[in-house]
Amino acid sequence: MSPTRIECPTRLDESTGAELYKQVRASKIASGEQLVLDLAATDAMDSRGGAWLIRISDFVRLKKGELLFEGQGEQVQGFMALLEPALATPAVRQSYSWHPFENVGEVLLSSWGELCDFGNLLVDTTYWTFIAPFEGKGFRWETMLEEIHEMGVRAIKINCLMNFLLGLIIAMLSAAQVAAFGLGIFVSYLIMIGFARELAALMTALVVSARTGAAISAELATMKVQEEIDALNGMGLNVAQFLIAPKLVAMLLVMPCLTIMGLICGILGGSVWGIFVLDYDAYTWFNNTLQAAHFPDIMQGLVKSLVFAVMIVMVGCHNGLRVTGGSRGVGLMTTRAVVMDIFFLIVIDMLFALFFYYVEV
Amino acid sequence: MPMNANWPDDKPMIEVKDLVTHYGQSLILDGISLDVHKGQILVILGGSGSGKTTLLKHMCGLHAATSGSITFYGQEIIGLEEDRLALVQQGFGIAFQSGGLFNSMTVGENVALPIREYGGIRDEALIDALVRMKLNMVGLGEAQHKLPSELSGGMKKRAGLARALALDPPIVFFDEPSAGLDPIMASGLDQLILHLRDLLGVTFVVVTHELESIRTIADEVVFLDLGKIIFNGTVKDAEERGGERVEQFFARRPDEVISQRTAV
Repeated sequence: MSPTRIECPTRLDESTGAELYKQVRASKIASGEQLVLDLAATDAMDSRGGAWLIRISDFVRLKKGELLFEGQGEQVQGFMALLEPALATPAVRQSYSWHPFENVGEVLLSSWGELCDFGNLLVDTTYWTFIAPFEGKGFRWETMLEEIHEMGVRAIKINCLMNFLLGLIIAMLSAAQVAAFGLGIFVSYLIMIGFARELAALMTALVVSARTGAAISAELATMKVQEEIDALNGMGLNVAQFLIAPKLVAMLLVMPCLTIMGLICGILGGSVWGIFVLDYDAYTWFNNTLQAAHFPDIMQGLVKSLVFAVMIVMVGCHNGLRVTGGSRGVGLMTTRAVVMDIFFLIVIDMLFALFFYYVEV
Repeated sequence: MPMNANWPDDKPMIEVKDLVTHYGQSLILDGISLDVHKGQILVILGGSGSGKTTLLKHMCGLHAATSGSITFYGQEIIGLEEDRLALVQQGFGIAFQSGGLFNSMTVGENVALPIREYGGIRDEALIDALVRMKLNMVGLGEAQHKLPSELSGGMKKRAGLARALALDPPIVFFDEPSAGLDPIMASGLDQLILHLRDLLGVTFVVVTHELESIRTIADEVVFLDLGKIIFNGTVKDAEERGGERVEQFFARRPDEVISQRTAV
């Protein structure tokens, strides 16, 4: 079978390349047939013309034919040499295969792996936070003080404001239901008990997870991407000791304090509505609030805040250290940390609610 | 875009005049003047912290200078409005030291980005062919569908060059092309730079420390020291009569006391 010959244009660019491609398609090349592109007349070629040659090469390969070039003059020889690897390489198409069992297995295995990693990190952190310092292995007190400032002191304003507004909203909504029956004063009870047991700890944890949890995750993820974590390990320093333990202790100290502040601000928020809108005098309102204040309720909130503190630090660190890739990975892991924080906050809160429902405290 | 194919060879394509730059109180570039001609490979060299990368970024319009002038095909780029500067920059290919790839895109998508944005091509198959051509030119044909995070440092650098070449720019600015590459790949990249210059007439402004690379590719070298040009000429002249500091650089002779010179 004699090969099909097509003469290339004098100048091979985007438009002449497109014409050439049409000619090749019209030539109806058969399997095993040779197609010869004659470049004798071609004295100029640009990248887009080259790209058309690659498309022609893909087409001929698809038809199981053979593409040959002939008559290359000096002007295009060098360019063809640059083009050669791309002409010789078939287009790689990404294939998306669907294997449900493999996919489920992969998810289960990776979840198990992640759980193990989390467990290891938790054990490591517990040791370096609560045991190692008493064995004389050191603790970074200065870093912990800086963290207290960053996590706690700098969060006071936003935390107080959020709790104040929540107190105001709850007073407003509940007063609308009970004021008609002359029971408006019981809103003070509701605010006190609600904030002491539940809302102060939960709202504070939400503020801290959005603020500090995300920051912890982004910090560690960036350190991992920039090989700072490898540098730490390479110096024989433990990540849990060096980075996580000071954060954990700082968080355990600041969370209860922020929760107490949140409780006070929530009560004040409710009081604003009770005193200025429901027209109760301040003495009556605060007296009723104090009557509703029970130590076990406040302790419930504080115990929760400690659990939330551990959860926020550990989830942030865990996600930060699992980062892969560059800047995109950092963004993904930070988002994941915040989403996990909020999810686990609700789950832990529900477990506490169940516990305290069945176990009277 | 001021792409002047008929630009006279004797007129500089890029002209830098009395360029001065400060970072805060520190003087980084002190009265830099140089010309880049069409089809030339100009290498900017000098010690660490001498202002090489800063000068390169000024020439691509990425940094604002304190004073001075930079023209590209006669068009002043210092103080140019953002949208007009963007038009000029479409004529630049910029390959960054660490690649500067977008992590959220595959390597192929990175290379295709300028083609889609400015190339005026709608045919996806043709864009794909162009991307493959550029990637194969830098030896990364297999990496088209990989994410940048899956590449080594040297591969990222080459992918960055492929993206810089995507629109066939008349000039390519290349920061540290050979750093971090194995000798085979580094010399391959040098050959590619020469090929692109010889075959397509691409002009290169390259920042590098690599002596082998400088000797292979440079038509002209500009030696920066403490923010000033202390030599401008051919490599041969630099090695033979470039002055004490330049000759020390080419002879790889260390300072007697390493701290006696401080970076700017």
